[in-house]
Amino acid sequence: MENVVQINKTVSVVAFYFRNAGQRLKCFPKRMEFGGRSINFTETGMLHPVRKGSRMIHVFDMTDGTADYRLEFDAETLDWVLVYIADMQAKAQPGLGSAVYA
Amino acid sequence: MQSTPNPETPQVMHIDLNSCFATVEQQARPLLRGRPVAVTNRLTKNACVIAASYEAKALGVKVGMGLMDARILAPGIVTLETDPPKYHYAYTKLVNIMKSYSPNVTMKSIDEGVIDFHGTRQAVNARPLTDVGHEIKRRLKEDVGCWMRCNIGIAPNRFLAKTAAGLHKPDGLDVIEHKNLRRVMAELKLTDLTGIADKNEARLNAHGIMTPLQFLDAPSELLKRHVFKSVCGEDWHQRLRGWEVDDHEWSTKTIGRQFVMDDYQASEEKVRSRLAHLCESTGLKMRYKGLCARGMNVYIRYKSGDYWHSRKAFKSSFFTDAEIYRRATLLFNKHPNLDYVVEMGVSCYLLETSNMNQVSILEEVNKEIWLTEAVDEVNRRFGNHTITFAISADSKTKIKQKIPFGSTRYFELLCQQA
Repeated sequence: MENVVQINKTVSVVAFYFRNAGQRLKCFPKRMEFGGRSINFTETGMLHPVRKGSRMIHVFDMTDGTADYRLEFDAETLDWVLVYIADMQAKAQPGLGSAVYA
Repeated sequence: MQSTPNPETPQVMHIDLNSCFATVEQQARPLLRGRPVAVTNRLTKNACVIAASYEAKALGVKVGMGLMDARILAPGIVTLETDPPKYHYAYTKLVNIMKSYSPNVTMKSIDEGVIDFHGTRQAVNARPLTDVGHEIKRRLKEDVGCWMRCNIGIAPNRFLAKTAAGLHKPDGLDVIEHKNLRRVMAELKLTDLTGIADKNEARLNAHGIMTPLQFLDAPSELLKRHVFKSVCGEDWHQRLRGWEVDDHEWSTKTIGRQFVMDDYQASEEKVRSRLAHLCESTGLKMRYKGLCARGMNVYIRYKSGDYWHSRKAFKSSFFTDAEIYRRATLLFNKHPNLDYVVEMGVSCYLLETSNMNQVSILEEVNKEIWLTEAVDEVNRRFGNHTITFAISADSKTKIKQKIPFGSTRYFELLCQQA
């Protein structure tokens, strides 16, 4: 069981890191500010693009070691949106129910 | 027809992603790695598992099992709803890797494909195919992520390559050739062979064929005249010996869409709303393939378990949403009110190349075509179903595009909708 909290709010990504991916240098979020606290990402799960009509959204699945975060970067408006936080620690808490996933 | 095993050096490679959807989810979310994960099309208690991670499989969770049963077997199982764009990304990466080795690549479904190396070995791929296989595994990890694994099978034909890919899951790489064919077959059961399920197994058993080795030794005439009673028997005789009989593409015969109702006590109005949405989806697929149809089929399954269907071949062809809906409604209006509708489907047949670009002498027809083109253009830019029939407006939030099994012919289109 896990607890997924839908956020869908614009957030500030204040630090990035770069990684060689084939012939291109790819950029990933490193630190995000949300709810008055700073979250440092320790690992990138997957980066994949999603088309919404003619807009291109880059979806970043990140983790800070205690929870998984889904961030979306809109290549048109340059906004970062935190879509949800999936907290695996919630598995020990009874009554939280099963996963709810976007 | 060949009666001896194919002595050729194996040149067909079958690549199969392990528990594809579950593995991709574990790749995307590192905290799920090492945990039992089940992927379903809907997060409802009646949903069934469409992919289970290896950790879940170890606890007895199987694909096709109900979610309730899976939760009993693996109480800590994490259940996720499908996320098609993620799988599409992994699929695209896999296709790109495969196409870098040979132009002859066939995707059999979203998570498996075949590379035919015939004609490329001298110029491009002089290395042993096992080396190429290991390189593909490494590139998959680099391009998609470190958690991705795949099974690879190498053999003289597609059937044996798929069999080889299933020998050592997960992350296996096996070769079947004429030298080890009998040894491999001796270790398998009949139902381990792709295409042999319960009914075919019973057919074979009825003629004293109990093992793959006996199947391999069975004469062609026995298989053709007595076991399968068709040319399929000859095909099996060749297939088992490594001769290629499966290298052909089937043309599209029908295009359609079906839906299990979100409400098992839906009103007539709601059912018609869902029908309109199904017609729009069917039209979208048809125009995407550049086809039009002359035949229409509508089926309904009732809550009582009854089934009704109606089909009709029309004189004129059609491809616009309005025409599909009009003709589907003609058939739908005939359905008996036996009980609540729980499932329905619309499909078009008698497909032919679309005449959408041809200007008609009838102004009304031209207007309808231009309207369809304009609506398609708006939907392409702002997302599918941005403009819909008024009647189906509420359906687009209810009928979500799910992952198609089997053919990937609409995959690009469906991912736009997802």
